[in-house]
Amino acid sequence: MRRVAFVALLVSQAAFAQKTDARLDCKHTGKDFIYDCVIRLARAGEPLTGAQVTVGADMPSMPMAHQVKPVKAKPTKTLGEYRARLDLEMGGEWAVKLRLSDPVRDQLVLHYEFDERGARPVKRSAKSPRK
Amino acid sequence: MDEYAIGVLTSIGLLTFVAASAYLLLIAGELSFGQQAFFGVGAYAAGIATAMFGLPLPLAILAAMLLGGLAAALVGLPALRLRGLYFAMATLAAAEMLRILFELFHWQVQVGGEAVGPDGTQGFRGIRWVFERGVEPLGFLGIVWALLAGVVLLFILVERSRLGTTIRALGEDPELAGALGVDVLRLKLGVVAAAGALAALGGALFAHHNTYIEPRNFDIMLGVHTLAYALIGGLGTVFGPLLGVALDLGLLEGTRVFQGYRMIVFGGLVALLLIWRPRGLLDERMVHWLRTRR
Repeated sequence: MRRVAFVALLVSQAAFAQKTDARLDCKHTGKDFIYDCVIRLARAGEPLTGAQVTVGADMPSMPMAHQVKPVKAKPTKTLGEYRARLDLEMGGEWAVKLRLSDPVRDQLVLHYEFDERGARPVKRSAKSPRK
Repeated sequence: MDEYAIGVLTSIGLLTFVAASAYLLLIAGELSFGQQAFFGVGAYAAGIATAMFGLPLPLAILAAMLLGGLAAALVGLPALRLRGLYFAMATLAAAEMLRILFELFHWQVQVGGEAVGPDGTQGFRGIRWVFERGVEPLGFLGIVWALLAGVVLLFILVERSRLGTTIRALGEDPELAGALGVDVLRLKLGVVAAAGALAALGGALFAHHNTYIEPRNFDIMLGVHTLAYALIGGLGTVFGPLLGVALDLGLLEGTRVFQGYRMIVFGGLVALLLIWRPRGLLDERMVHWLRTRR
C-alpha cells in the first residue's frame, strides 16, 4: 500500500514537473477589443490534446480591476490547438491566463500586447529596469 | 457559482485588504498613496517562502505580514515627520522606490529542475503552493473571505476599544490628542506598521491566487484605486472600504454596464463623492444614524 502511494506521489510530482508550453496567436476581429485567439499547447514537445482550457485575462498595471470573463477554448482539427474569443476592455498589455484541467492540471500566464493589429508577446529587458 | 463570479468575489476580497489598510491610515489622519508597495512586499515575501523554500502558506503569510509591517514602519519613521500632502507624497515616493527595487531584484533557485524566484522585470513565476495542493477557485475564495472576516472582526473590536477611540481622536486633532497625553508619533507609527502588515496579507494571498507577480502589479494605479475605495466607501466603519471595492468591481466591472468607459465613470464618482460626501458613503454620521435606528 505504501509502495503504491509512493509511486502515485512520484507520478503526480512528475506531472507537475513537466512543463506545458503555450503559444498564443490572436487576430483583431474589427470590433472594439475583441480578438479571435488560437492557443497551441504542448507538453514534452508533443501537442497536448483533449485538454479543458479556460482563458481569462488581467491587466498587470492594475491587477484585478479589469477582469475578462473567462471563456472555454474549443479544440480545433489541429492537434494541440484550441480556439477562443477574447473580449478585452481596452488595448495594451494583458496577462492572459490559461487554466488547464483534465487530463493535465496547470495554470499558465502569458503576457501579450493587444492592439488593432493583433497581439504580440511582451518583450522586456531582463536586466535593466523599465525606464 | 460560475468562474467569473468567483473571480470577481476573490478580487473584491483581495483588494479590500489593501483598501482597509488605506482606511486605517485615513482614520488616523494620514493619506497614503503607497499601500501598494506593502501589498507587493507581502506578495514577494510569501512567494519566496512557499515557492523557493517550500514553507506552508500560513507560515508564509505570517512572514509576509511581519515583513510588510517592518517595511511600512521603516517608511513611516521618516515620513511621519511630515504632515498632510507632504506625507502623502513621501509614501508615493517610497512606493515607487520599492517598485524599482522589485525590478532590480533577481534571486532564483532551482526547484524541480526549474529556476524559481524573482527575476526583475520578468516577474516571479511558479508561486503554485495553492494550485499544487488542489485548492480550487471556490476553496480559495473561502480562504480569502474567512481571513477578511477575521480582519473585519478585529477592526470592529479595536474600533470599539479605547485604542480605536484614541486612533480616531488622533485623526481628528493630533495636537489635542498629544495635549491629552497620547504619544502621537508612536501611535501613528504603530498604525502605519499595522496598515503595512494588512496590505502585505492581501499581497500574500494575491501572489498565490495569481501564481505570478511582477513589479508592475504594484504600480501607483493600485495605490490610487485603494485610496479611492476607502474614500468612496466611507471612513465611518471598516465596511466602508469593502463597499468601495464592491461598488467598483462588483457593480461597475461585474455588470459591465459602462464597458470601456468604466474608469471615467469611476473617476467621476470619486470627484462627485469628494464634493457631496467628503468622508464617503458610510461616513461617521451615517454609521451613527444606522446604529441609533436599531
